Amino acid sequence: MNCNHADLKGYLLGELPPDERRQVEEHLKVSPACQEDLDRLRLTHTALLALRDEEPSRRIAFVSDKVLAPNWRQRFWSAAPRLGFASAALLAVAIVSHGWLTRPPQPATPTLDAAALERQVQAEVQRRLPAAVAQAVAESEARQTRKMAEVLKAAEERLSLETRGQLVAVQEAFDLLNKRMNIMYVASSEVGGAR
Amino acid sequence: MILREVEDRDLVLRARRGEVDAYNVLVSRWERRVFNYLLRIVNDRQDSEDLSQEVFLKAYLSLKKLVEPSRFAPWLFRIAHNEAFSLMRRRRPEAEAEPEATGQLTASRMYPQELSLAVAAALARLPAEQREAVLLKVYQGFKFEEMAEILECPVSTVKSRLYTALDRLKDVLAPLSERSVS
Repeated sequence: MNCNHADLKGYLLGELPPDERRQVEEHLKVSPACQEDLDRLRLTHTALLALRDEEPSRRIAFVSDKVLAPNWRQRFWSAAPRLGFASAALLAVAIVSHGWLTRPPQPATPTLDAAALERQVQAEVQRRLPAAVAQAVAESEARQTRKMAEVLKAAEERLSLETRGQLVAVQEAFDLLNKRMNIMYVASSEVGGAR
Repeated sequence: MILREVEDRDLVLRARRGEVDAYNVLVSRWERRVFNYLLRIVNDRQDSEDLSQEVFLKAYLSLKKLVEPSRFAPWLFRIAHNEAFSLMRRRRPEAEAEPEATGQLTASRMYPQELSLAVAAALARLPAEQREAVLLKVYQGFKFEEMAEILECPVSTVKSRLYTALDRLKDVLAPLSERSVS
């Protein structure tokens, strides 16, 4: 290899196959001019790498734009696993639908409307309440009247007994007084007869 | 690079199935590189941002045409190349704007920011095709075959453009690199 055939730039840039690379390395040992040229190329390469990257002042905007996103049909048909999942889902829906449509008839259950029911209860209570109250009051008054009559009767009986007892006592006291007067009259008669 | 291709392929396949989020990942992975590639070619930030938008939109809309999903990157840069040179053809008078001179920067030791500016200026002085060859090889790391695919030209043409560009840059940048302050 002579200096004209030494691909120093290819060597520097790592583009040479291994055998050609070895040939260049052998040549560099015997050619100071090529070694110097390679050193200058290395300095140039180092200088080039000093160039600083610049930041774009704005990012690429369109990539998040939903307009670019495929529609649901494209997304659906673009993936085989999704298609398989969709098939399984359809099968499941078919089974559930069949079960629903062929279910045995069931007696209709009345639909309970809680509000209407509440209104009916309230109306019935309003309707029945006055009569119930009047009946309760009447029964209570009757009970009171009966009780009062019984008390009065008992009081009258007790008073009657007491009065009768008192009359007996008066009678007895009068009889006793009458007996004593008779005894005094007999005694005075006997005293007068003796004189 | 291989891992990147595998991930790109997976993301491309998912994006093809309609997963916009997968394409978002691809965009976030490549937008900065594409933007800087375009910036160094057209030398205008606004144009580069607009072109980046165009590139990713066109790539998304024609994602199904990508034969090998693992080769997303060369395909994306092919679109970027077409967009950039289409714009430059429409604006040919301004396309090769004269870059700033770097003479003053060579006088003393250089700081990284100065060296970066000098490199940008040196690149801007190159013809667009040579500059693009440097961008694809040095900054994007594409192989010669991938560059040939992006540029739609033979590998020999790619090497010719790149080697000529490196010879030109060597005269300007090697002395600067020697004096740079790390």
